[in-house]
Amino acid sequence: MHSKGYRKYLSFFAFLAPAFIIYSIFLLIPTLGGMFYSLTDWNGLNRAYDFVGLGNFVEILRDDPDFMHSLWFTLKYVVIMVVLQNVFALFLAVLIESKRRSKGFFRTIFFMPNMISLIISAFMWSFVFTQVLPQIAEKTILTFLDQGWIGDPNVSFYSIIIVSLWNGVGYMMIIYLAGLQGVPQHLQEAAIIDGANVFQRFMRVTLPMITHALTICLFLTLNGAFKVFDVVYGLTGGGPGRSTQVITLNIYEEAFSNNFRYGYASAKSIILFLFILVFTFIQISVMKRKEVES
Amino acid sequence: MRKRTAASYFVTLLLAVLAAVSFFPIYLAVINSFKTQGEMFSSVMALPTKLHFENYVYAFQQINLLNSVKNSVIVSVMGVGGIIFAAGLAGYKLSRTPGKLSNFIFFLFIASMLVPFHSIMISLTRVAKSLAVQGTTYGLGLIYIGLGVNMAVFLYHGFVKTIPKELEESTRIDGCGDFQTYFRIIFPLLLPISVTIGILNFLWIWNDFLLPLLMLTDVNRYTLILSTNMLFGEYNKEWSLILAALVLTAIPVVIIYSIFQRFIMEGITEGAVKG
Repeated sequence: MHSKGYRKYLSFFAFLAPAFIIYSIFLLIPTLGGMFYSLTDWNGLNRAYDFVGLGNFVEILRDDPDFMHSLWFTLKYVVIMVVLQNVFALFLAVLIESKRRSKGFFRTIFFMPNMISLIISAFMWSFVFTQVLPQIAEKTILTFLDQGWIGDPNVSFYSIIIVSLWNGVGYMMIIYLAGLQGVPQHLQEAAIIDGANVFQRFMRVTLPMITHALTICLFLTLNGAFKVFDVVYGLTGGGPGRSTQVITLNIYEEAFSNNFRYGYASAKSIILFLFILVFTFIQISVMKRKEVES
Repeated sequence: MRKRTAASYFVTLLLAVLAAVSFFPIYLAVINSFKTQGEMFSSVMALPTKLHFENYVYAFQQINLLNSVKNSVIVSVMGVGGIIFAAGLAGYKLSRTPGKLSNFIFFLFIASMLVPFHSIMISLTRVAKSLAVQGTTYGLGLIYIGLGVNMAVFLYHGFVKTIPKELEESTRIDGCGDFQTYFRIIFPLLLPISVTIGILNFLWIWNDFLLPLLMLTDVNRYTLILSTNMLFGEYNKEWSLILAALVLTAIPVVIIYSIFQRFIMEGITEGAVKG
């Protein structure tokens, strides 16, 4: 009996070892390490460092206007992206769902940009922004197309949004399409007989039936938007100046290209983590309540 | 009834216009990749008068295409294979073993799914450096296993519950050990979720940019994405060359997509519903 229990333990650890060991090395330890470094003034190079407590956090909040700017910029981006990405994705999904024959074709076309990596998407669009649109503006009456898409701080925010949407909408659309498939046809028909118009049918029948897909898509878009990096890096590089610098880019530059302030940058990364945590928590708890109601 | 068909035509028309807009940048990239710089500046919209494959030949050499693709394949196959192997074992065992320790480990895996990569990247580079896995293709593959395993454990954990326990009990009576039972009976039954996990992780690893950027320094070890990034930095204004490189970078993905299209769609929906 004793040996059987022992073997059970052995088997438990043998099954878990590969995943847990590699997870500990590359995810758990770096997570804990980041939390620890955030309390130090470590520069990433020297062996020695001092423990500064919450000093880094105080400095970030008090005298780091660049970080604060990147924080506001990111929050603005998050709000706009979460709204637009879901509205567009749901809109496309509803339109495509109504087509029987061409469904597969449209699904493929709108999903295609998502297959292209974000950084490649950014390069592709920087061609469109710097070469194509100005030339169209020059040759036609669509003069408004000649904007400082990348060079003008006020416009480049929208360029970043456009590329992010172009790349990301298709993925959410697939999830919404799956959600829509679960809406029973007879409910729609009953609503038609009751005299509901298209808009009413969408708000009263479709939307409540797909709250689960909505929860997931909101979670994914919220998380993804906070972590935006590739598009900004590839399109504007955070510029002009630091006008389009998002949090992740600010952290990256602080740690790897400007100052090598690893401890300080770690503190910033903890702040990013807390923001994601709080926003996700709020989103999930609000949506859960909605799901119960319907 | 006539009103409904009119509405339906309108929806098709609207979708067609949106699809054209969405496809437009890809179309532009392709047609301009066949032009000379001069042709492009006279008109970006016009179709190329003659197909200039030189751009492709040059881009092919500059991004060292075969080598870059090889590196990307090694990293992706290693990452995806490792994740499926390790997470399958762990997810299965955790799901079948009730108890505090099991719950705690499972909680650790799930909780870490909320940690954004950017919050760990700094100390991850330190860990990689001290273990001497920084800068190597295999090291990069290993790191992807470590970063991807938590989500996969979560998905396997949920899926195992749909497999009846009686199956394992009967094989155990037949004298199979734990590992034999897993690899002979359970693992084949996990195939649907393994495909989902494989696809989601492949798309992520193949297209990932920041981690290779942090980890790789030797040009010969660059992944496809990283090589293209380097090219973009060096040949900033030579658009015909860059576009050819972008198209080349997108081709493997398009091939994979056309082969696995059905699974990719299912993978995304499955992964989302379970996640």
